[in-house]
Amino acid sequence: MNIAVCVCSVPDTASVVGYLDGAIDYSRVNVVMNPYDEYALEEAVRFKECIEGTMVTVFSFTPDSAKEVLRKALAMGADRAVRVRCSEGELHPSDPFLTALSLSRAISGFYGALLPDLVFCGKQSTDFQSAQVPSMLAELFGMASVSGITSLHASGDFLRVEREIEGGIEAIDVTFPAVLSAEKGLNEPRNTSIRAVMDARKKTVELLEVSLHEEPFVVLSGIVPLERKKICCFVPDEHELLRILSHDCNLL
Amino acid sequence: MNKFLVFLEQREGIVKQSSISAWNRVQELAALDGNSVVSGILAGPVDTLQLDGVLAGDGVIYHAGEDGFGVYNQEKYTRVVADTFKREACTALFFADTALSREIAPRLSVRIQASLLSGSTTGKGVADGVSRRVYSGSFLASFVPTRQPRIYILSSSAPVPAFPDGGRIHFIDMEPQQCSVEDFFPVVRNIIMGEGPPDVAEARIVVAGGRGMGGAEGFALLEQLALLLGGAVGASRTAVDAGWRPHSEQIGQTGKTVAPALYFACGISGAVQHLAGIGSAGVVVAINSDRDAPVFDAADYGLVGDVHIVLPKLIDLLKEFLKKQ
Repeated sequence: MNIAVCVCSVPDTASVVGYLDGAIDYSRVNVVMNPYDEYALEEAVRFKECIEGTMVTVFSFTPDSAKEVLRKALAMGADRAVRVRCSEGELHPSDPFLTALSLSRAISGFYGALLPDLVFCGKQSTDFQSAQVPSMLAELFGMASVSGITSLHASGDFLRVEREIEGGIEAIDVTFPAVLSAEKGLNEPRNTSIRAVMDARKKTVELLEVSLHEEPFVVLSGIVPLERKKICCFVPDEHELLRILSHDCNLL
Repeated sequence: MNKFLVFLEQREGIVKQSSISAWNRVQELAALDGNSVVSGILAGPVDTLQLDGVLAGDGVIYHAGEDGFGVYNQEKYTRVVADTFKREACTALFFADTALSREIAPRLSVRIQASLLSGSTTGKGVADGVSRRVYSGSFLASFVPTRQPRIYILSSSAPVPAFPDGGRIHFIDMEPQQCSVEDFFPVVRNIIMGEGPPDVAEARIVVAGGRGMGGAEGFALLEQLALLLGGAVGASRTAVDAGWRPHSEQIGQTGKTVAPALYFACGISGAVQHLAGIGSAGVVVAINSDRDAPVFDAADYGLVGDVHIVLPKLIDLLKEFLKKQ
C-alpha cells in the first residue's frame, strides 16, 4: 500500500512573528513541522508498522532553508521525502487552491497513474489556518475525504474514523482511496531517537519540480498586526467581580 | 443581478441556528446591495414549519427532502448544492462555519471553480472579500476573490442583524435526486452527541482552566461554575496535554477558537498560543495568583488570587445572587 503525507513548515508556536513594512517578518522565526502534520505523519507510520509492504512518502513545499522539516519526517519513519518546487517560483501559502493543485501534480507526478491508497494531511496549517487544502486535494483526485479525524481503525476493506462535530462525534466509514486530515488527539507523535535522526541524515531528500500556470482563486490583499493588549481593571475581591459582571456588564 | 444561495444545514430534522443566522446575514448583505435575491438549499427531511417567522426577508428555498439526505453524505450533499447553484445561475454561495461546511465548501470551490472565502465580509457588500485572523490571531488578513462565482464561509463571530419580522419564504420541493448512490463513501455510521453542557465553541459563557487548577479534580470547581452560568468548560493546552481534560475542550492555536460573551481564564498564564483562541471573546476575566502573568494583558477584569480560594467564594456568591433573581 502507498501512503502520501503532505507536510508544511510553519513558525514555531513559541515564536513571535514580526511585522515589517506591511508584511510578515520571518527573520526571527523558528520554523518547524506544522503540528497537525505531525499527527498525520505519525498515523501513516503506524499504518506502515501494521501492514507489511506499506510505503510512506512525504511531500512538502518547504523552502530549502527549512529542509530540516523533511529530515524530521524521515526520522519519524517516512520511507521517502520529496521536496516539491514550482518551476514558476515560490508558492505563496495564502491560496489553498494553488497549494492543493500543485500538491496533486506532485503526487501524480511521483506515483504516475497509480495514485496512493491514502493521503494524510494535517487538518490545517497554523499560519494561514484555512483548513481547505485537504478537501480540495481530494476533489482534484476524485477521492472521498474526511476532515479533522480524531480516531482511525482499519476494518477490512474500509476505515472507521471519527471526527468532532458541533456538540458531538461523527463515526464515519470510508473506503480506499481517501484523503484524511488529522486533528489533535488522533495520536501522540513519537519522539525521534538519536539513531533515527542519524539514519535520516543518510537518506536523500528528493527534489520534484511541478509546473503551475493557473491563477490563484483568492489573493491576500493586506495583513495587519492585531493589538491584543487590553487594559486590565484589577478588582479587589469576588463581590466586586460579581457586581461588575452582573450590574455593569449585564452578563449574568 | 446577484443571486445568492444559502446552504441550510439540518441535523435530525432541526435546522441549525448557525444556518438561520447565516441566512439573515445574507439577507442584510442583499438589502445593502439592493440588487440581489436570496435563495436557499435545504438538504434533508425537515418540517419547514419550524422556519416560520425566523427567516428574514423574502426568498425561495429549494428543499431536497428525501430520506437519503437525512444524514450527511459528502458526495450527495456536494452534488445537490453544485447542481442547484448551476441550475439557478447563482453568483455566490454562503455557508455558516461548521464542521460540515468546512468539508464540503473546499470541494465545491474546485468543482464549480469558485473563489472560496472564509471569514467576515468586509466593506458594505460581498464584492470586497473577507478578513480573518491568521498566525494564531496575531494578524488580521484580508483576502479578495479572483473568480466570479464565490463561496463564503461566514465567521460565526459576526453580529446577526435583528429583523422586525420573518419574511415571505416560498419552499420548492425538489424532485428526488437522480444520483441514487446508496453506497457513496464516506458514509456516516452514527453520531454520538455529547450530553449536558453546550459545546465550548458555541457557548455564550466559557469557564476555562489551566495549569493553575492543579489537576483533573481542580476542574470540578470550573464545572460547578459553568453549570451555574449555563456555560461550558474549556481548557488550556497544558491541561489537555496533562490528560486533565479532553482535547475537545482545548482552546487556542491547536484547539478551538471561541467567541463567547464572557470568558473566564482561571489559573491560565496566557501563552500566545492560548490567547490565539480567545481574540474574539467579549469580556475576559482572568483569575491568577501571579499578578505579572501575561493573561492579565488580554483581560478586561483581573482578580489576583489562588483559584482554589477565589472560585469557591465566587461560586457561593453566585448561588446567592441567582437565588435572588
